[in-house]
Parts: sequence; C-alpha cells; structure tokens
Amino acid sequence: MFERSRRRLAYWFALSMGSILILFAFTVYHRQVKDQMREFDARIYDQAKRIAASTTYQKQGESWLIDTENVSLRDRNALESKIIYIRWYDFQQRLLQFTGYSPHQRSQVTPGWQTQKYDFHLKGQPLSKHLRRLTLPLKDDGSPVGYLQIAVSLGPLQTSLARSRLFLSLGIPIALTFTGVVGWILGHFAMQPAKRSYEQLQRFTADASHELRAPIAAILSNAQVGLLASEDDDQERDQRLSNIVIQSKSMSSLVANLLFLARHEGQLNPQDVANIDLVELLSSIAEGYIDSAIDKDLRFEVDLPASPVEVHSDRDLLQRAIGNLLDNAFKYTPNGGKITMRLEPKPRQVLIKIMDTGIGIPEVDLPHIFDRFYRVDKARTRETGGVGLGLAIARQIIKAHDGKITVVSEAEKGTTVQICLPLQPQ
Amino acid sequence: MLILLVEDDSAQLEPLQTALSKVGHIVDAVQDGETASWLIKEREYDLLILDWMLPKVSGIELCRHYRNLNLAAPVLMITAKDTTADKVTGLDAGADDYIVKPVDVLELLARVRALGRRSPLWQGEMIELADLRLDLTHLTLERGVDNIQLSVKEFQLMEYLMRHPRQVLSRDQIEQALWSWGSEPESNAVTTLVRRLRQRLETLGAKDWLETVYGMGYRLHSPN
Repeated sequence: MFERSRRRLAYWFALSMGSILILFAFTVYHRQVKDQMREFDARIYDQAKRIAASTTYQKQGESWLIDTENVSLRDRNALESKIIYIRWYDFQQRLLQFTGYSPHQRSQVTPGWQTQKYDFHLKGQPLSKHLRRLTLPLKDDGSPVGYLQIAVSLGPLQTSLARSRLFLSLGIPIALTFTGVVGWILGHFAMQPAKRSYEQLQRFTADASHELRAPIAAILSNAQVGLLASEDDDQERDQRLSNIVIQSKSMSSLVANLLFLARHEGQLNPQDVANIDLVELLSSIAEGYIDSAIDKDLRFEVDLPASPVEVHSDRDLLQRAIGNLLDNAFKYTPNGGKITMRLEPKPRQVLIKIMDTGIGIPEVDLPHIFDRFYRVDKARTRETGGVGLGLAIARQIIKAHDGKITVVSEAEKGTTVQICLPLQPQ
Repeated sequence: MLILLVEDDSAQLEPLQTALSKVGHIVDAVQDGETASWLIKEREYDLLILDWMLPKVSGIELCRHYRNLNLAAPVLMITAKDTTADKVTGLDAGADDYIVKPVDVLELLARVRALGRRSPLWQGEMIELADLRLDLTHLTLERGVDNIQLSVKEFQLMEYLMRHPRQVLSRDQIEQALWSWGSEPESNAVTTLVRRLRQRLETLGAKDWLETVYGMGYRLHSPN
C-alpha cells in the first residue's frame, strides 16, 4: 500500500517537474533560435552595407553602370566564407553582376529577407542547403539605382542549433530520470510519518484484539468444558466455574482500564482537584509496597523531603499513576534488587523519580512503551506482566496535570521513570 | 490421537487440554515454542494445535520448522489475529486449518475430528478386530449385541492395542503412547490399567483376548 503511494508520489513529482523542465527547455531553445537569427541577420546586413558602400554607380542615360571593382571580400571572416553569392540588379531587376554561385534561372527580386532552400550539385552529388538572402535596394541621393542581393549559407547557424537540440534531447531524459529518482527518495521520506502511524494503529488493533480475546476465550472454553462434564462430576463443574470467575474478573479490570483511558482523556474534573501534599501521598503509597518488597527480597528506599510539598491535583489519579509505575518496578526487578522512590522539589516544579535495578527496557521499545497495549514481550505472556495499559494510563494522568513523564532505561541495568509536575505559583 | 497443544496462556490451555482428553485424545500441552520444537522431534504426533503468539518461538515458526522436518501431521493454528493477511500467512506457513479466538470448544473438537479423517491412518469411526468393535466417537466397545462404555484411559489403551493387533507391546511402549509427555505415571499404572480393561472385556466375554506375554508385555488378538 505504501509502496504504491510512494510510486505515485514519485510519478507525479517527475511528471510535474518534467513538464516544467520541458517547457523551460523549449522556451530557452526558442529564444536561442531568435537571438542567433537576429545576430546572424545583423552580420549579413553589415556586410551588405559594406559591399553597397564600396560599389560605385554611374548613370548612363536611363540605366546605371555598376562598378564592383572596389568590392573586396579579402578580409575574410567566418561569415564571408559562407557567402554563396552576391548579385547586383538594376532597378528593373535585371541581373548586372554576380560573384559566387551563378543563378540558373531568373529569380524574383523582392527587397528584404528571405530564407530559401537551394539545390546544387557537388561532384555529381545532389545537395541541398538552406540560405539566408538579403535584398537591399541601392539608392543614389534618394533615387533608386538597383538592388544588391547577398545570400549566406545557414549552415553554421544550423550546426550550432543542432548542437543545442542534441544537448536538450540528451539532457531532458537524464534530468527526468534524475527527477524520478529524487521523487522516489523524497517519497520515502514523505511516507514515513503516515507509515509510522499506520504501523502504530496496526499494532494497537492486533494487541487490543489479543488482550480482549484472551479472557473471553478462556471463559468460553471453561464454560463449554463445564457443560461437557458429566452431570455427577461436581468437582469438575466447580473448577470450571471458579476459572470463569477469575477470567471474568481479569476481563472486567481490562474493560475498566480501557474505560478509564477513554473517560479521562483531556482535562481533569475540577471537583476532584485539590491541593494535596505529595510527601504524605507518596509515603502512604509506599506503605502499600512494603510487603511485596519483603516478599521479593527487594531494597525499597523512599527519599522524601521533610516539609510538605503541595501540588494542585487529583489525588486518586496521581495515586493510580504512581502505583502503576511502582507495580512495573516491582514486577520487572529481580529478587535482591533495589527500588528507589524520590521526591525532589524544584523552584517551579516537582520531580518524582522511581528508579529500579530491574531488567530494563530495550532501546527499540522505548519510543512505544507509552502506547496502549504495547508490551516489550511480543508474545504477551500472561504469567509475566499485564495487558500493557499501565504506562499509557500513567502518562495520560500526568499529561492531564500538565506534567511530563520520561523514561531512561538501560537493558539489564534498570529503569528510571521521572514525573515532572508543575508547582502552582504562590 | 496423540496431539501436541501449544498455548502460552494457561487459562486457555487447560480447558482445551481437558476437552481434548475427554474425547479420548492423548494431549501433550506445553506453554512455549521452545519446548514444543524439541518435542516434535521426540514424539510422533497425529495433530499439532498451535497458538500463533508464543514466547521464544512463535507458532508460525514452529509450523514452518515442523514442515521443514518433512513431517506431515495436520497443523491447526489458533490465534487472535483475524485479518485475511494473517490467515494467508498462517496457511502458507504449512497450517491445515485456522481458528480465530475465542475458540469454541465444540468447533475445535469437530475440526480435530475432520483433520483426523484426513490422516492416512484413518480407518473410520470404528476400529474392528474380528467381531470386536471400538467406537472412536462414543468411546464404546461392542461385541455382537453387547456394548460397554469405556473410561478415557481404558479407551486409549484399547485403541492403542487395536491399532497394533497381534503385536507384543511392552510396558514402556504403552506408557509412552498413553501418557502425556512429562507426566510420570505410577510404576504399576500400566498393570492396573490392563487389569481394569480385562475386567471390562470380561463383560463382553473377551477376557482372554488381552494376553500377557511374560517378560515382554501385552498382546491383543482374537483367540480363534
């Protein structure tokens, strides 16, 4: 699914960038043709002027005598070498003189610019070339004398434009390919956030369905096995019924947790919020864990300041959040380990730290541990650990208090969870 | 049938194991994939029932591993994963059937029966030896017009003997075939069971069919 979106993204990117590129290339080429043509024409015009200036005319009755003695083509430049012919006509358009290629037919003399194709034979091979012809009226004191016609091969111009076309025809596909590749790479980055949230949703659905189905599965099969038992087998039936009770309770607590998450999303209920003393709250929570510390042979240290620390909060919720964190610490710390709970008042905030020397959380799992139903143990073993809602609930509670919860953990070394609650301005 | 049942949640494992045992199957119930992957090499199962999500080795890996060993017993996957893609993955890994949790026990038993019918060793709902008939669905033994109900353990022994007629089966063989892996029957369990079955056979007038071969074991054969 993401591959297809990525392909389409790359495709549209290449297509739009490509069209812009092609449009741009054509504009540039078009301008180049016009510029080169203008420059070319200007040079022909200069040349024609020069030739016209060096031609002398003499009036002989009605007609003019044109003398081309002084016309010099010696200062050969690139243009002159490409001159095909120069022709002089009188004002009745009769050819008087010519150099270069000889006219094989009487051609129409129209003043101005023309582009023509002309055919000729070179060593018996028929060739055709394009030429640019300028016909300049010759005047003497304002009265028409005749015409000067100069034709130049368009060869050099065509060669230069052909080079441009070759460059573009190679360059555009290369640039398009490049755009496609860039689009493909960009597509990868553009897809990342969508892919991540999709994966998170997938994981949530899979995990939630596993957690919700497990107790139902157990209840159903216990009930059915109970029904299969023979009528006089009371012991079997009692066993099944008590299993169903246990499973229903675990199901009920799961549902309660889910409802809790749904209900307490967002704001705290103002009626439940009061100024409470964190020192008193934490020491009363800690008391509840003394027995489990003794059972598991854990060192449980509670480090609280002597004076009360008051925060504006919902006591029950805060107790639940801290309880969840302590539950985790006790669950994942092997016998003989150490758990520390510390309260550190700061000028504007208060920090509650719960540190353990437990099994820690692998780095890959750290970004997800606050997700609902997320468990480091992918097999979701029931014997060790809960359903994966404890940290999600803790975070939601702390967030509702405008606080922050962070976890630092090192596998096999231990985990530190830090809650940061804002203090009310006095 | 000898069934390997792998499910990590004991709350779900235990009732399924009980239900399967009640209808006469011998069930090896284990809670992790590692033990299971060792067991499939040790014992010849007639059916594998695997949960997908297992600690250490997943049900899918286990199934692939089993098929890679060129073992052909049917595999039934049980899982909470219910998308089509998951089912395809499961079946492609070599599973023969797929049940989504929560598992209906009656449905599971029906599917187990269906998979059993596909087995190359399938001989029908009845196994017969001369005029002795063992009903595999109702766990009853019939001879002529007489008909007795066997307990699960008696039935399992009878089935084992009838599937190996005229063969001498040692105490060890019987113990391994009839008791789940890891369970330790009392030293005289086989003897007691054989005595109980003989008493049942007596009511059908077939007490001398189950013969003790001294120093070797037991043998079921028709005296005629």
